[in-house]
Amino acid sequence: MLEIVIQGRGGQGAQTAGNLLAAAFFAEGRHVQSFASYGGARRGTPVSSFIRVDDKPVRVRCDIERADAILCFDSTLLEGKLLATANERTLIVVNSGRSVADYARTHAGYRVIPIDAIAISRRAGLGRIVNSALLGALARAIGVPPLAVLERTLAERSPKLTDENLAACEDGYRTADALLAETVAA
Amino acid sequence: MNTPTAVAAPSAQASATASAPDAARRKSSPAQSMLVTGNQAVAWGARLARPQVCPVYPITPQTPVLEQLTEFQADGEFDAEIITPESEHSVMSACIPASLAGVRVFTATASQGLLLMHELLHYASGARAPIVMANINRTVASPWAFWPDQTDSLAQRDTGWIQLYVESAQEALDSVIQCFRVAETVLVPAMINLDAFYVSHAMEAVDIPASADVDAYLPPFAPPHKLDTAKVESWGNVVSQEMFYRHRQAIEESMARVPQLLAEADRAWRERFGRGWGVVERYRCDGASAVVVTMGSMCGTARDAVDAMRADGHAVGLVKLRLFRPLPAEALRAALAGVRDAIVLDRNHSPGLGGILHQELKSALYGMAGAPRVHGLLAGVGGVNVPPRKIVEFVQAARERDPQPESVWVR
Repeated sequence: MLEIVIQGRGGQGAQTAGNLLAAAFFAEGRHVQSFASYGGARRGTPVSSFIRVDDKPVRVRCDIERADAILCFDSTLLEGKLLATANERTLIVVNSGRSVADYARTHAGYRVIPIDAIAISRRAGLGRIVNSALLGALARAIGVPPLAVLERTLAERSPKLTDENLAACEDGYRTADALLAETVAA
Repeated sequence: MNTPTAVAAPSAQASATASAPDAARRKSSPAQSMLVTGNQAVAWGARLARPQVCPVYPITPQTPVLEQLTEFQADGEFDAEIITPESEHSVMSACIPASLAGVRVFTATASQGLLLMHELLHYASGARAPIVMANINRTVASPWAFWPDQTDSLAQRDTGWIQLYVESAQEALDSVIQCFRVAETVLVPAMINLDAFYVSHAMEAVDIPASADVDAYLPPFAPPHKLDTAKVESWGNVVSQEMFYRHRQAIEESMARVPQLLAEADRAWRERFGRGWGVVERYRCDGASAVVVTMGSMCGTARDAVDAMRADGHAVGLVKLRLFRPLPAEALRAALAGVRDAIVLDRNHSPGLGGILHQELKSALYGMAGAPRVHGLLAGVGGVNVPPRKIVEFVQAARERDPQPESVWVR
């Protein structure tokens, strides 16, 4: 079973990203379970989304204690409770303009792949809407879902700016691809 | 004292629809597999059951049920009159006369909303109104929170409603439809409970049955008595002690039929749709010396814990209680026969008593020869996380100590 935690702040799109990712895995024929914090969530407060993916039905209904991957929309949240769900094998994709080497120093023992998603999204004409770029990066980091499946899901579900979202997704995917080897070396 | 017949009754239009259902107006939908949340699955169950009146008031975490139903209606796929009164108390006050007018009624609520309905929950069962309601189990204030906790609905256990606790979005959808069949047979209202967050907001693959198949499974509601100006009858009269006594006996007799009726409804569902959920489910209980007993979403987590313990050579199983009211005592006794330790996980808290299922199970097993030792654990109260490894720990610790009359706090 693959367990993914997506962390952002209310309004950043972490919950949407979780639903999109779940839809992509579902489209691929995998069993998924996706849930997000709610109720107390307001614009700006931390919001978590959790996804489980398996080849058999997912039965457990509890929090993810050990994430295989973390997608972090806000680098200031990559600490404490969120980092406690990671170990040295967890692939952490974080929305940050910092370098891999820099994270190797500040987050020693963790595999952090920083993606400058704001720069990618601006290049794609999406302003500060970063979830397509980050989802592309996450898909490359963990190797699933295939880029084509993710892009089809994004195209089906993005209400507008479809081409821009697909461009950001691909850019995020390629950026993560280039950084992945560097991360292993670190 | 509230008088339900004095508040919003369904409009003449809805009543007309009820008295002369027009089959040609019924839209059909195909079977499909969709990625939906537990709340959306509940709304799909309601849509397929074709209620004619649906009074509802929003509350976290139930609101997505209402949102989905209104979306269905906007798309022309949900032909019920949706009534939006000013509170949950008025929602139930609207449900009762609508049901007594002979139409199928659905609603949904959670937590504080359910508590505000309390007075009318008694009234609904006393009036023999077979309303079906989904309740999203959420902590009860104070303090304020949104986490899964079943105290809200368990505090309604004496209101005369059938209560089911479900584990997944699929089971929630199926249970809404099954409950209409059972409730309308015995004229007792039914409540389907699903845990906040882990079920209500968990998105997963759900098989949506074809509407034609559900229509064949669930006949239109046609009660023998109803509020009808052409054939006048009344409800809620002042009665003598003797009449009240007999009325309560009649409710008890109807309740007593429910375990068998639910088993039959579930069997018919399995025959038609290829899946069923039972009344009391035994999971890997063969030869088990210890059995976890719980309800709702924690059953899923317990399955993984049981598999882990079995893999380590421990004879441990799970008994999932799907039907809590009426308490299927006979089925519980049969399911736990020969078991040394029953470990109850209660995601609820009755101050001064402990875990409610703990106490109910002990009463169900009272006097049983060779009854298991019953350990009550307050696990997951307030939505505290209970992963499989914790359940393994709880079971191991419980088996090594003598059972106590009180429930034990564990985390």
